[in-house]
Amino acid sequence: MKSVDVDETTKVPKPLLELSVVGKNFGGVAAVSDLSMAVQAGSVAGLMGPNGAGKTTLVNLISGMLPPDHGTIEFSGVQIQRSPAHIIAAQGIARTYQNVRLFSGMTVLEQVMAGCYVRRGVSLWASFLGLPKAQHAYKAVQNHALELLDRVQLTHRAHFLAETLSYGEQRRVEIARALGTRPKLLLLDEPTAGMNAQESAEIGRLVHSLRGGGLTVLMVEHNVQLVKDFCDVVTVMNFGRYLVSGTPAYCMAHPDVQAAYFGKTTDAERIQTLR
Amino acid sequence: MVALISPAPKKTMQRLFDFWSAYQSTVAFAIVNSFLALSTYAVLSAGILSFATVTYAALGGFLGARLVLASGLDSLLALPIAALAGAGLSYLVALVFLRLQSHWMALASLSLILITRVIVINTPWVTGGVVGMSVPMPLSLSFLSLLLALAAFVFWRLSVSWYGIAAQSVREDPAVASSLGISARDIQTIAFVISGAVGGLGGILLAGLLQFISPDTYFVNIAFTMIAGVVLGGSYHWSGAIVGAAVFTALPVVAQAAFPEYQDVANGVVLLAIMIFLPRGLIDPRAIRLRRASR
Repeated sequence: MKSVDVDETTKVPKPLLELSVVGKNFGGVAAVSDLSMAVQAGSVAGLMGPNGAGKTTLVNLISGMLPPDHGTIEFSGVQIQRSPAHIIAAQGIARTYQNVRLFSGMTVLEQVMAGCYVRRGVSLWASFLGLPKAQHAYKAVQNHALELLDRVQLTHRAHFLAETLSYGEQRRVEIARALGTRPKLLLLDEPTAGMNAQESAEIGRLVHSLRGGGLTVLMVEHNVQLVKDFCDVVTVMNFGRYLVSGTPAYCMAHPDVQAAYFGKTTDAERIQTLR
Repeated sequence: MVALISPAPKKTMQRLFDFWSAYQSTVAFAIVNSFLALSTYAVLSAGILSFATVTYAALGGFLGARLVLASGLDSLLALPIAALAGAGLSYLVALVFLRLQSHWMALASLSLILITRVIVINTPWVTGGVVGMSVPMPLSLSFLSLLLALAAFVFWRLSVSWYGIAAQSVREDPAVASSLGISARDIQTIAFVISGAVGGLGGILLAGLLQFISPDTYFVNIAFTMIAGVVLGGSYHWSGAIVGAAVFTALPVVAQAAFPEYQDVANGVVLLAIMIFLPRGLIDPRAIRLRRASR
């Protein structure tokens, strides 16, 4: 069993990821506003909220695509809020995107190999010179990439151009590519967006299997059923702010969450009186 | 040997020899232009449009020629020195240019060409100034071909190595590449250094081919030639740069031979046709893969 960092004063396992009063503004708009949250190692955490709540911005802040204006982001006990994205990836955070972003002109296997670059195990010089150890390492990485494709059930598509695959398959390629970095934390940004029920269920089973391998997952999702079935804890945001956190059932039933998604009952009553 | 062969094939062979004699200089220029095109491709393959190859070529050409002239250095030794000088300069250029947005970088590289010309004119002790300088460095076609084969091998190794995967990722989407642990800046710096080395080498080879260089030798005309060569040949594979340079060099010669009165029109028509029907160039790996997949 993996050892877990423990806070010596409270004897509670330290979170793998901890955000403290993180904020990000775009001009006058507070996309993320003083948000604090934590993700425990080995869990599958959900991040929910209406459109425009700041979920993707938060994922961008964690992954280093954007720097926060203030606050701290701690990953495995190291502050990463000022680190560039490629350093954060090397430290063990990988992500997928709300709109699939695969590399044009690359086959499925090449996409995943690109994900394995950071764990290639040899220098660029050795690879360029074609040294025996570099060739051996390349073969090993290629085999690992094929294993990842097997996990997402796309081995038979390994040599197809990724852009010729169906939308659902492209999503799975993106997940396999992210897994190539051998992350400790995987950020999934709406992995089932645009998918039918069967495809969504497949993604859910994949996420569940990833947790079994010791991976921590933070999943941005609108699919309530998926969140209920596979998430241990959910954090809900609205207008860039933290709203509530807890089990999926607790959050779904919370009046503030329902108001965020469906509007307040006082609004409905006011509209009724106007008629 | 020709005398031993019967009359009809003898005529054909004679024609071939005459053809070769007439056009071997075109082949030599195509090879040298390939180096300049490869230099441009090196940075384009990492997502950067830069015309700084002209500057690297100028440095390689003038420095190499001065070393051969002034110190009697063997031309074989002048070649790697020119390449190293180009690589060193390109590293310094990368430190500045990689802080710029892509369109500003292209503009800055054009400005670099103008600055280069001013420096060349005002350093006559190295470059001969406005007058220029002769370059006593004959280069055989077989030697040029060998160098090109070596360059092609280097680019092939780069494309199949981890650098190739990283460069393609950075070119397609630098932000996503970063999220996979690929440092776009590091890869693009390497691309600049490769471009500088190949550009410097191309510059001294051009000097040896022309036997005389001046400030006008390394100017905007070369920038246009190398960009057109890369784009027409295909900017998604290293062989596209070589094919494009060959086509771009041979096209005016063929047009002059076939359509002497309409040479310029013929050039334009062929270039337009390639741009319209093959927008990704003559060598397009993506199209090749799609065709294979459809079989």
